[in-house]
Amino acid sequence: MAQLLTRNVLDPAQRELQTALRSGAYLGFKQALSLPAHEVVAEIEASGLRGRGGAGFPTGRKWSFIHAALDQPVYLLCNADESEPGTFKDHYLIERDPHLVLEGVAIAAYAIGAHQAYIYMRGEYASIAETLARALGEALDAQIVGPNCMNSGYDLRITIQLGAGAYICGEETGLIQSLEGRRAYPRVRPPFPAVHGFLQEPTVVNNVETLACAARIMAEGAEAFKDLGTKQSAGTKLISVSGAVERPGVYEVEMGHPLMEFLAHEAGGVRRGRGLKGVIPGGTSVPILTAEEAAPLTIDYESMQSAGTMLGSGGMIVFDEDTRMPHALLRIAEFYAHESCGECTPCREGTGWMAWVLRRLLAGEGRPDDLELLLRVGDNIEGRTICGLGDASVQPVRSFIQKFRPEFEALLPKEEQGTLAWQSHGHGPRSGRFGSPAKEAMRSQAVDGPPTAAL
Amino acid sequence: MPIVTIDGRQIEVEPGTSVIQAADRLGVEIPRFCYHPDLRPEGNCRMCLVDVEGFQKPVVACATPVLDGMVVKTPHESSVASRAVNGVLEFLLVNHPLDCPICDQAGECSLQDFYMHPDYGQHPSRVDPVEKVHKRKRIDLGPRIVLDQERCVMCSRCVRFSEEVSGFGELQFVRRGNHVELTAFEDRALRDPYAGNLADVCPVGALTSRDFRFKRRVWHLSHTDSICAGCSTGCNLRIDHFEGRIERVVPRRNPDVNRSWICDEGRLSFRRLAGAPRLTRPRRGDRELLWPEAVACAHESLQTASTARGLPLLAFASASATNESLWLIRQYVEAAFPEHRLEFRLDRETEAVAERQDSLLRRADKHPNTMGALHLGYGRGVGLEGLVAMAEKGQLGALFMLYYPPLVGEESEETKERIVHLLQLVSESVVLTTHELPYLADAKLLLPVAAWSEEEGTYTNYQGVTQHAGKAVSPQEAVRPATDVLGDLWQCATAARRPTGSEHLFREIAASVPAFRGLSYAALDSRAATTYPPEGRMHYGQEGFAGR
Repeated sequence: MAQLLTRNVLDPAQRELQTALRSGAYLGFKQALSLPAHEVVAEIEASGLRGRGGAGFPTGRKWSFIHAALDQPVYLLCNADESEPGTFKDHYLIERDPHLVLEGVAIAAYAIGAHQAYIYMRGEYASIAETLARALGEALDAQIVGPNCMNSGYDLRITIQLGAGAYICGEETGLIQSLEGRRAYPRVRPPFPAVHGFLQEPTVVNNVETLACAARIMAEGAEAFKDLGTKQSAGTKLISVSGAVERPGVYEVEMGHPLMEFLAHEAGGVRRGRGLKGVIPGGTSVPILTAEEAAPLTIDYESMQSAGTMLGSGGMIVFDEDTRMPHALLRIAEFYAHESCGECTPCREGTGWMAWVLRRLLAGEGRPDDLELLLRVGDNIEGRTICGLGDASVQPVRSFIQKFRPEFEALLPKEEQGTLAWQSHGHGPRSGRFGSPAKEAMRSQAVDGPPTAAL
Repeated sequence: MPIVTIDGRQIEVEPGTSVIQAADRLGVEIPRFCYHPDLRPEGNCRMCLVDVEGFQKPVVACATPVLDGMVVKTPHESSVASRAVNGVLEFLLVNHPLDCPICDQAGECSLQDFYMHPDYGQHPSRVDPVEKVHKRKRIDLGPRIVLDQERCVMCSRCVRFSEEVSGFGELQFVRRGNHVELTAFEDRALRDPYAGNLADVCPVGALTSRDFRFKRRVWHLSHTDSICAGCSTGCNLRIDHFEGRIERVVPRRNPDVNRSWICDEGRLSFRRLAGAPRLTRPRRGDRELLWPEAVACAHESLQTASTARGLPLLAFASASATNESLWLIRQYVEAAFPEHRLEFRLDRETEAVAERQDSLLRRADKHPNTMGALHLGYGRGVGLEGLVAMAEKGQLGALFMLYYPPLVGEESEETKERIVHLLQLVSESVVLTTHELPYLADAKLLLPVAAWSEEEGTYTNYQGVTQHAGKAVSPQEAVRPATDVLGDLWQCATAARRPTGSEHLFREIAASVPAFRGLSYAALDSRAATTYPPEGRMHYGQEGFAGR
């Protein structure tokens, strides 16, 4: 199994600078400092590295967007908020090889011309923040980072900032707002952070794992990185697997590794020998895969995409055959309802509504068209929100209902109960309502429609 | 410059203009909560979603800059946009308490209006009242504002107003998801002297005006466009009145003068006006007079005291008088008194109210027409102190005074004492004023005139912008507009009649006074937006109801 990032994680002494240096830490940063910044960017572009936080955006391209004026400050923000459910790979990396993360931060900062970098960590990561701070202290004392890094003339200040633990702080503009001391309300794009980011200055936000990859690329070369993985997905991926498996944990796999093989070997197979029901491959924000769908897939961006889902953060959640999917979905929906920041209308109201409907379904108080309602509410959230978290909340609802529909239908009231009281008041489904041009449809609704309305 | 097509109509706009601004200029209605022309766009309500050709999904018109050749369809024309906007509207109503019958915003509530719109509203509800998230109601935020968290649509206009405009930053959101609440820290009373605007920017009934709440349903109100007479800024406002009583005052948008705001003092100045007893009939000593007698008496006594004795007449007018009144005083004095001084006061009273000024709207000079008085040839002169000195030396024959008490602030005790002293010193004095003021009691003849909001006229603000104020309510009993009284006096002096309508007088001013040259009375209002709320009202209620 390919080991790129997790090479040294089993040695507890790796947290100490001397041990880390013996294992080759900061060689990549040294190499980067010997090159002009644009060549570092070119090297990362050549490696084919894509963002490991979830979206998979090419990292070198992101860095190349920074075109700052000479007198303009530029910031690098390392996103260590890791709030996606099922994801705990960054925690593992920071806990066990903090110098690798710091090296990645330093390289990225140098490449984009930043002299100030922030590592934004969720509040729950206080213990590993200490580990990281200790490592940072050692690196500062050794003059690896700080003023005049390794005698190169390049100055870099790295600051660790703890958040208070909100999902939205993992969204890059939410993170920026939080770092500025504001309420973590995402910003409308454009302008993108590369133009107006932290303190309105050009800013790059990268995930922890992405930066760790960058460190390895600079130390070992873009070619070596590219040799790993598939054509469109270079390198390796940290997978944090949890749920119904024998050996949950963080594993590094080469991109293109067969999913089933990973589940059977690394993860130890489905718990207690039960059958596999479904897998969420990359955090709860991506559509779930049924066992049949998952069978032919490999762990990389393109394979996941071909199945209509995403590699996401690599937060893999496994469901065995005994899992009651509506219950699992309610748990997820409640997470989004609880974590919606409340800034924009569709996500604020829609996530709570979806959770409410699921709750009443599970309480045996469902209505015949509740599944339709859930899907329609999802339609009204998706693509209508300021940040991607609106879409994220819809993916599980839609995919769970589509792929495990019989389980949900079993919760609906039985037909023979007849028309329920609320139905006669015009609360029925609205299919086809917007079929004709809106104006006509709405007008006819106004004339012929039921006498009851919301107001 | 980019050309954009919105619902089939084209407009050329400056680069950087947003789609919603272009649509507003075209007069195409795009529903919105969070967008406000005088606040930074935030894009959070998602109500202004429009369908742009070539874009995969609807975009928010408030935060999308216009690109050349862009083809935009609003919910009126596009079913995609209509569905999107309807979805947002439905979300906004999911947890809305639907307490319109007891909500003071009803009738001018964006949420209510949008729901009634046939192009994107009027959907049947899919939510049961029992499912709603409940929040706190009737939260006391000080003397101006009452907060209802349940009705809030979280558009953040108030938060942005408080941060960006008044700078007090007293409001913020707390909690998350559909439990988000607007709050002031520990519900403390707002200290913002512009807090009244929060009720104006609030598109729904979350922030309501403590002063106006439950006084009158808004559809009963008549509206008159006017100018604030509280200070020399001259904020554009609208007087809302019912059966001859002013119920409230709201700002009108004028980007050159007050944008969309007014200060709380100006907003409540009408209450001050109504708070003190009015002078209702002409009076000489203890004797009440009828107008013909009073006017004749005024002219004769001034003539006798001044011209006959060869001493100058002092004509003294508050800079709160309209340009038209000031003009007519000048006409009268010039026609009847060869020896005269024209003055308006601007001495110590500005210092008395110095703390009531700021860089936003409030100015130290609490007179709405100081600039107009200067343009019309009134001199700052020797000031009240100098006049008292002149009177003491017996250099003044008579005093003619048009006096308006300040709508904001008070005359200083010193000023009042000087007025009393002056009135005691001169042998003959005629004072036109609005209220029973103790410090004017020594005037030989008192004539009641209309106050602000009771007469039509123009004021010139400190920037030199001349603006028109309409007549909202009628003065009571025998009270007449100053221009009428002055017209009668002019007739006494010249034995000729003259029109005293403010439009006619303004035409005379524009023809003779250089500073007013070229101004047309009818065009004075063109710089101000016409209506409140600032984003423009949408009148489609009729259509919506007609269909039902």
